[in-house]
Amino acid sequence: MSTSATTFIPESGQAAAVEHGHDEQKQSFFSKYIWSLDHKMIGLQYLWTSFFFLLLGGLLAMGIRFQLAYPGMPVPLIGALLPSTIAIDGVILPGGYNMLFTMHATVMVFLVVMPLLIGGFGNYLIPLKIGAGDMAFPTLNAMSYWLYVLSGVIILASFFVDGGAAQSGWTAYAPLSSTPAYMNNTQMGQSLWCVGLFVNGLSSIAGATNYITTITNMRAPGMTMFRLPLSVWSLYLTAWLLILAVPVLSAAAAMLFADLNLGTTFFAAQGGQPLLWQHLFWFFGHPEVYIMILPAMGLVSEILPVFARKPIFGYKAMVWAMVAIGFLGFIVWGHHMFVSGMNLTLGAAFSVSTMIIAVPSAIKTFNWMGTVWRGSIEFTTPMLFALAFVSMFVIGGLSGIFMASTPVDLFVHNSYFIVAHIHYVLFGGSLFGAFAAIYFWYPKMFGRMMNETLGKIHFFATFIFFNLTFFPMHNLGLGGMMRRIADPTVYEHLRALQPINVFVTWAAFGMGLATFIFLWNFIWSLRHGKVAGKNPWKATTLEWTVPSPPGHGNFETTPTVYNGPYEYSVPGMAKDFLPQNERAPEGARLEVH
Amino acid sequence: MSTAALTAHDDSPDHRASQRTAVFGMTIFLASEAMLFAGLIAGYIVLRLSSPAWPPSPDLPKLPVLLTGINTVFLIASSFAFHAAEVAVKKGKSGVAWLLVTVLLGSLFVGVQAYEWYHMHHEGLWFNQGGAYGATFFVLTGFHGLHVIIGVLMIAWALIRQLGGAYTAQSHTYLILAGMYWHFVDVVWLFLYSVLYLV
Repeated sequence: MSTSATTFIPESGQAAAVEHGHDEQKQSFFSKYIWSLDHKMIGLQYLWTSFFFLLLGGLLAMGIRFQLAYPGMPVPLIGALLPSTIAIDGVILPGGYNMLFTMHATVMVFLVVMPLLIGGFGNYLIPLKIGAGDMAFPTLNAMSYWLYVLSGVIILASFFVDGGAAQSGWTAYAPLSSTPAYMNNTQMGQSLWCVGLFVNGLSSIAGATNYITTITNMRAPGMTMFRLPLSVWSLYLTAWLLILAVPVLSAAAAMLFADLNLGTTFFAAQGGQPLLWQHLFWFFGHPEVYIMILPAMGLVSEILPVFARKPIFGYKAMVWAMVAIGFLGFIVWGHHMFVSGMNLTLGAAFSVSTMIIAVPSAIKTFNWMGTVWRGSIEFTTPMLFALAFVSMFVIGGLSGIFMASTPVDLFVHNSYFIVAHIHYVLFGGSLFGAFAAIYFWYPKMFGRMMNETLGKIHFFATFIFFNLTFFPMHNLGLGGMMRRIADPTVYEHLRALQPINVFVTWAAFGMGLATFIFLWNFIWSLRHGKVAGKNPWKATTLEWTVPSPPGHGNFETTPTVYNGPYEYSVPGMAKDFLPQNERAPEGARLEVH
Repeated sequence: MSTAALTAHDDSPDHRASQRTAVFGMTIFLASEAMLFAGLIAGYIVLRLSSPAWPPSPDLPKLPVLLTGINTVFLIASSFAFHAAEVAVKKGKSGVAWLLVTVLLGSLFVGVQAYEWYHMHHEGLWFNQGGAYGATFFVLTGFHGLHVIIGVLMIAWALIRQLGGAYTAQSHTYLILAGMYWHFVDVVWLFLYSVLYLV
């Protein structure tokens, strides 16, 4: 805590910002790229690190798909490199398969989607969008990033310890996860999983504290809460969910760690309560679902108006819908547990509360459609991804309603129907939203545009292969295929479905390959992209009023905000957009005052 | 970092704004700490209510209500002592004596808890002995004890810095933050003492 006094100095003053601009040249490599306190650099650190884990998580997914299509065959190319806990002579072991799906989900949830959307875009955009020089607590911010890296290292390291990585699924249901005798000697890996998630939680809490404080205290003059861009609102609400949900996972992970290493019996079948784990985990786990989708919703809400040249439809309804989703997200966790032996009356209550979430979700969907309705739409890559986000979210949302209904869930629970659902909301939702945001804010981050042609190839390849991969999983699930089985061909009733598994696997490979188009575009455009200028998309929010990339301290003088964030095609104005820091000309009829 | 603002030992609007921001951030952080303990206590309640008897077996030792009650008084007293230190600093005095009292009372609390752990272990209760009864007792008091130790270290650091006169009536943000944390840890203890020992 010795440096805490330095930590808590907000850099809101414009004097400080300008002063910082001057000593930018003098920064050492270490203080600029490694222990940077600049929110933009920290945002980019998050971005690059999450790309690394995206590749890792994707590779694990390819392993899963290979095994499901060709069980018992050696993995080509990289099979020999796999640790002996996963594969022997390239043939994936049943326990190794457990490791693959457990770590695929753990990596994607905690090391890719959260850091990418919240760490990356949250850090980069919040101060720029609210007109602040930096985050409220820059040191805490840097610490949050390095705790994330540490958690990633711990989780990675678990592959190489005695017995290998955790095998109990990302949900780590007890007593499977808490009893060493049940888990193929992965006690060490499971323990590291607990530690990794605990450290990851510290990172999230540090980041969330920063976001809430920054958004509450450091908005530029005139930036009222209802003039905040929806992306900032979404990150603000997400931060609250993190503050309230993540510590419960930390508590549960600590108890699980104690069960594994200190001989306690929190979650043991004898003398403990295995169901307690599920309650604690899902008390975190369901808000976590919204933690991963809300930022994507916010970012997409930012992109649709720009490329439809229209104000967002129902700004306040969008805000209140997110508030409602955030709140309801805390009282629906039991819908993950309908078959757990939980009290059935309680199940009915969870069923109803879950269905109520469909209301604010539908409000958002209709408002997105209202936003693009009769707009002059430009189908740029970010717009395509944003529109894909909306449509994939609808599919994922609708299959969610199926499962919210207890009787239907009894049938589809633990089947590939669930796997299809989660990927429609998490990949088709969160990750498509993230791609939209990357294409959209890349010019601000690096001063150059990404290549549109490559972007569109990436989009269509990803979109098509995504649907070819995950839509048939609904059929697999309804056909009776269970989750988390290493070899579907040993089950009589699944043999007829095996061609679908092979098909899905090849589609997944196509989707994996499409990612390299994206990475190539990302890296190539750093040097060769078209120079972007301040405001290539003709957008209204404050980040587009400063140079690309913005200098240290962001704004030369603190901006004053006069308008809402979505003043496009304002009647009575010659220009078709009105930046937030420009006064409306005489006769302009604004959307939000 | 702008160390200029750090050394501003004055009543400037900048300093007050940064103090407000820091207090706000600490409040948010404590909200997450509250959820951590809420998770642990919820787990304890579930385990206890689903056990036919508590302690699960009659030969398990009872928790020492009186000794811990006295210890609770020490901890509460330390909160008042810290408050006295803060009031002294606000009046322009050093407050070192009260900080010292806080550190001593906090350390005393940790010491008594350590003795209690040793004693309960001796009586046959441990993380892996006594089922959920032992597990919840040691993990919950352990988590809290860790928080108390961190708090004592924070206040000891404030004490060392204040020997050099680091905090003035206008500028003592660190003290305010340490105080918030310390009072929070005390309040959590009241909950823990109630559910673990009294009820």
